[in-house]
This record gives sequence, C-alpha cells and structure tokens, in this order.
Amino acid sequence: MAKSDGCVHILQGLLVFGNVVIGMCGIALTAECIYFVSNPHGLYPLLKATENNDIYAAAWIGIFVGLALFALSILGIIGVIKASRTLLLVYIILMLITFAFEMASCITAATHRDSLTPNVFLKQMLERYQKSEPANNSDKELTKTWDELMLQNHCCGVLGPSDWQEYTSAFRLTHNDADYPWPRKCCVLNAQGLPINLDGCKLGVPGYYNSNGCYDAISGPVNTHAWGVAWFGFAILCWTFCVLLGTMFYWSGIEY
Amino acid sequence: LPTPPARLPYVPHVPPMALLGKVTATTFALEGPRCVFDGHADASDTVWLAVAFANASATFRNPRSRADVPPYKQLPTARSYMTLETAAAAYLCSAPSPPVLRVGGDTACRDQDRQDPCNGPLPSPGPYRVKFLLMGCRGPKAETRWSEPILLRRAVSPCTIDPAPTRRGSDVVVIASILASLGAVLASAVLGALGAKVWGSLCHQDLGTDTFIRRSYRTHHIPPALPQPLPPGCRCSLPRLCRSSPQPPAPC
Repeated sequence: MAKSDGCVHILQGLLVFGNVVIGMCGIALTAECIYFVSNPHGLYPLLKATENNDIYAAAWIGIFVGLALFALSILGIIGVIKASRTLLLVYIILMLITFAFEMASCITAATHRDSLTPNVFLKQMLERYQKSEPANNSDKELTKTWDELMLQNHCCGVLGPSDWQEYTSAFRLTHNDADYPWPRKCCVLNAQGLPINLDGCKLGVPGYYNSNGCYDAISGPVNTHAWGVAWFGFAILCWTFCVLLGTMFYWSGIEY
Repeated sequence: LPTPPARLPYVPHVPPMALLGKVTATTFALEGPRCVFDGHADASDTVWLAVAFANASATFRNPRSRADVPPYKQLPTARSYMTLETAAAAYLCSAPSPPVLRVGGDTACRDQDRQDPCNGPLPSPGPYRVKFLLMGCRGPKAETRWSEPILLRRAVSPCTIDPAPTRRGSDVVVIASILASLGAVLASAVLGALGAKVWGSLCHQDLGTDTFIRRSYRTHHIPPALPQPLPPGCRCSLPRLCRSSPQPPAPC
C-alpha cells in the first residue's frame, strides 16, 4: 500500500510539473506571437499584398492558444491535486481542442513560409511598385514599404538592381530606362536624400549604388516569425502530448 | 578632292570592368578612346561618335563637314547618326579623359524633339555598331574601325515569373506528419478510455479492483466475536461422547 501511494504521489508530482511547464510555455507563446503581430520590421504590407498572410493568422491563433494553455494548465494542476474525475475530464477535452488549434497554427505557419519564395516578392514588386494608374491603397502602402526597405537596408530590388533591367514593370511605365535604369532609392544617398553621384549610379559604378538585393532583409524576419511560431508550437505540443497521456492514465485510475 | 580620313586600328568597345549599367535597354557605355587620336588631332578638332544599326554600318558615309552631321532625329530614316561631340583635346594621352562614355543618356534630346546632334536614348535593342570620327575644319581627318555589334537588353514581362516554390521543404513534412500522428494517438487514447468506461458501466462490471487512487477511506469497523463459554454440566473432553445420552460405566 505504501509503495502504491508513493507511485501515485510521484505521478501527481510529474503531472503538476508538466502542467507548470505548459503554463509557462503558453505565456511565452502568447508573448512571442504578440511580438510578431505587432509588425516590428514593417513587412506586413508586403505579405498582405501576396494574399498569403496566413503567417499572421497563425500568430493570432498562437496568442489565443497560449492563453488557453495557461488557463488549462491551472485547471489541470487543481484537477490532479484534488484527483477529481470531472475536472480532469474537462481538462482533457479542452486540451484536445487547444491541441488541434495549435496544430493548425504550426502547420499553417510552416506551409506558408515555404510559399514565400523570392519570385513571389519579385513579381509583386515589378507589378505594383510605383504603380501609377490605377493605384489603390495597398499599392501605395507597398511602394512606401519598399522605399523604406531599400533605404534602411541599403539594398535594391529583390535579387539586385538587375531585376529592373531584366523585366518590364509598373515602374518602367512611368520612368524611362535612360534616366532611371533602377529607382533612385537604389543609389547611395547623402544626408539630404540625393544621390551622391547620379551618373555613377545610373552606370552602375560600384560605390554609388546598392548592388545587393533586399530578399535577405525580407526573408530573415519572415523566417524568424514563421519558425518561431511553427517550431516553438511543435515543441509545446510534444510536451503537451506526454502530459495528456499521463493525465489520461491518472484519470482512468481514479475511483468514482 | 579631300584626302580620305586615316583609318586607325582602334576598335571601340564596351568597358571591360564590372558596371551593372553598361548595357541597358536604351543606353550603352563605351570606353573612352584615350591616346587614339594623338598625332592626328589639332587643338580645334572634335571627336564624334557615329552610331549605326549593325546592318547599316557598311553603307554609312562620313559627313563632309559639321553641317552634314546626321543628328539623332535621323536615326529611324538614315539608320545612323552621330553624337557625343567632344573636343579632341579631351582624348589626348596627357589629358585625364573620361573613362566611360554613355550613349543615350540625354532624354531631353528625344522628348524635346531637338534637331541638332544630341545624345538621345536608343529606340530599339539594335544591335548597333559604333566608330569614332575625328572631324577637322575641312572634314573627317581620322576614323577608328567599327566596333563589334552591341546588342541592348530586352526586358521580359513579369508574367513569366512563376511564384510557385520549387520543392516542398522537408521541415513542413516533418512537423505535419509528427503532429498528425500525435493528434491521432491522443484522440484514439481518449476515445479508447471513454469507450472502455462506458462499456464497463454498461456490463455492470465491478471495476473497484482497478482503482489504485483513493480519495477517502472509510471502513466499517467490525469488532471480532468473543468465544462463547461452554454450558455447565458437560465435562467431557471428547465432544462426541457428550452429544449422545450418558450411560453408566462398567462396575467399578
């Protein structure tokens, strides 16, 4: 009898510890997803324009799943300590629902990260950057985002300034090739925002224009965002799986 | 008859260094003809650049004087023109000449429809051939050879860009498969546990022996029964004999 009691206490202790970890991870997931949703790198207009901002949907789901995990972990701790069948049954069913939502969020974030190839951004930039007529709000937002991106990261185009030469674009319709082989924002600018050597920039003399593409500046934050949601969520779910199995075993052993 | 211009062996070419804009859709760059005209040029001479479509370079005739120079406007009809008029002194060995010349850089030439020789953007991808021509007061004095055909860039439509990913990342497959299997295991465990409980309660089986977790333990304490004293009168040590009627023993 004493040995069985000891085993029961160990199981209870493990389940309480498991639930504490789930609660803390839930808070961490909520905090991380709030950070991503707050758009720290200003890339949200680019993703919205791809009609593929499911990474943001995954982050929103993550916020609510994190809070649910925290609340359910408290319920689980109470249920384990009181050995109450009802509480634990409620806990198991709600946890399964939360598990399903988090699973959807992880898979969505991972899948849609894969679909954000350089070509997606290239096509969108060529078709909509500096689009003059008809330009809706999202086109203007996109132009503003690209201008800021190119200014802050000292980059040009998606793969390089040659994007503007290899393809025709909305930009090309309003800016002739001789004066603007690539946008002025691709030139190295001085403090007043003017190119330090306009002829050098047009010719492509190294030092007067930005020769690297902006794809790294875009994909870095997007990757962090997507993998942060997907892999952290995956880790939480693996842990939750173990805790749930233990809880179900514990529940089946409680007498009426 | 004016003397024919001296043919110099220099071949104009696009600059060899890495310049991203040396050939665009409407412009191209040329290396400056440094030291080429030394010994032929006077202080008052000018160096012109003759640009012609590659298939029209053979029919190009040098202009006899500055007034006959074909301007940019004549390119569609005459299939050639001359531009980039520069003082010959700029290309001497002793002078710091511009390293790179840009043909087609003056958009005002095209937009304002100027009649004089200017440096307008090229209307089609070409290919073009160029040569340098040293013009004096009495006509052309020296010329270089025609360059190799220079083909300008042709831009394609962005509709040809295929945004689909080339291959599905392995990370997605790992996450999706592992999560799906975990979810399936959990769902089946819950259904199995619930089903076992329901089936057990339907068959009225006593599952008390399975429970190992007790919330409270209230037992009914039954004191053990005390042994009853023997009735008086029965002194037999053997109970069997005591049950039958007692008989007098044999005479003592």
